[in-house]
Amino acid sequence: MSDQWTDRLSEYLDGELPDDERAELEMHLRHCVACGAVLADLKRIVARAQGLEDRGPERDLWPAIAARIGAAPRREVRRWSFSLPQLAAAGIALMALSGGAAWLLHPAAMLPLASRPLASRPLAPVSAPRPAGQPLDGLRQGDSQAVLAVARQPRGAVVGYDAAVADLERVLEAGRGRLDTTTVRVIERNLATIDRALAQAQRAVAADSANLYLNSHLAETMRQKLELLRQAAALVSSVS
Amino acid sequence: MLFSLAHVAFAALALVQQIDTTVPVQQGQRLVVDSHGGDIDVTTWARNAVRVEAESGPRGGVEVVTAAGTVRVRTEGRRGPAPAVDLRITAPAWMGLDLSGVYTDVTVKGARGPVNVETVQGSVDVTGGEGLVSLSSVEGSVSLKGARGRIEVHSVNDDVNVSDATGDIVAETVNGEIVLERVDATSLEATTVNGDLGYDGPIRSGGRYELSSHNGDVTVAVTEQTSASFTVSTFNGDFESVVPVTLRDARKGKRFSFTLGGGGAQVSLESFQGTVRLVRPGQAGKSE
Repeated sequence: MSDQWTDRLSEYLDGELPDDERAELEMHLRHCVACGAVLADLKRIVARAQGLEDRGPERDLWPAIAARIGAAPRREVRRWSFSLPQLAAAGIALMALSGGAAWLLHPAAMLPLASRPLASRPLAPVSAPRPAGQPLDGLRQGDSQAVLAVARQPRGAVVGYDAAVADLERVLEAGRGRLDTTTVRVIERNLATIDRALAQAQRAVAADSANLYLNSHLAETMRQKLELLRQAAALVSSVS
Repeated sequence: MLFSLAHVAFAALALVQQIDTTVPVQQGQRLVVDSHGGDIDVTTWARNAVRVEAESGPRGGVEVVTAAGTVRVRTEGRRGPAPAVDLRITAPAWMGLDLSGVYTDVTVKGARGPVNVETVQGSVDVTGGEGLVSLSSVEGSVSLKGARGRIEVHSVNDDVNVSDATGDIVAETVNGEIVLERVDATSLEATTVNGDLGYDGPIRSGGRYELSSHNGDVTVAVTEQTSASFTVSTFNGDFESVVPVTLRDARKGKRFSFTLGGGGAQVSLESFQGTVRLVRPGQAGKSE
């Protein structure tokens, strides 16, 4: 493992390394499988962020979101580089924002199941609400101050995630009477399965907070919980 | 609007109504079926027409409406949700299918166009499909065979199976296993929380393959010709391989990387507390 280069991979990915260092790093990547794997992880995170649907909300939702997660006011757009733990935290924040708020704020989620466009169906990839008028173009500060705020303060990501989960759980609780009891049991059983996995992953991260795999696995498990809650909430809407 | 409301068939009042309606369709039209309960069974034929067969009880009916872009089939109840009605539909193979239901098993055979299926309490079994093929069930299994294109298969509480398929694949479940057999994917994301994962198919140069389970084993078939950079991650599990590998890096949390052949593909295999295995072709879909 080359610590010298591992810490520069984010800059490399952002195209911010000087030419000589970039060439040196590319030479290093040819024979360092470990750095190649880390780079692949970083690309995956960035690709997932870029893959989020570029759909702005109909009104400026940023003030409310910023208030919830305690983010700083908007500033001019500039690029940021991330350390590995910061990227993992940013991933969690993206998921919290996209998994929770997107469902709650997207009008299509309230349409009957069969009437909704494909992109907004319960199992479709989540979309990311962002401040109006700001395009998603990789991990830029202008995408969402929230992401950067929690990247620097991982606890903020958890707060945002918890709020999104709580919002969706309230929707599910309020609408559980409209769902078939078998469906409710199945959803609850699967949420419990994910919660057990989450608890195990959280304990592992607590014991080794710098481990990229464990952070990434925790974030992925959190995403799965949000996705299931979002799906359940959409089911409630579809039978309302 | 040649097809705008060209045909409407509705049967709701008779005690038991046999429905057998055939409507002409044109290239580009899509079949949209919305059923509250009962099976949806779609087969294909060479005619440019859609045939809908069903048997409806006294409290329900079936509505068939053609419009410019769609043929819409919907079960309806006189009061409240429609009772269970089994729909047997024959459609052109080229026709895009958009099928949804609640207490609904869905079967499709011979599709050659995009397919979208959603059900809550029922299984999904599709043969064929090209373009975007998206299948989901909350409580039932999802099985797809012979599809080509962008493939998205999701369940929550059951297994997901994809076989003889080609394209970019996303497969996900919470409480079930995922088996991908004779699959030729250049991009694969497969995730389950509580189940095993198996991939048996070529690993293409330039392809990306990401398989992740929390509680289950992750198994991938490799050959002597496999050329890929592997990253294996596990917290509390093991790693086994039928091919000799040289581990170039091992970090805390049992994460290591190695390369087979020239390393043309990127393969990420993760299991929090299961075993990651590299096996011979034909073994990846078999449980230990």
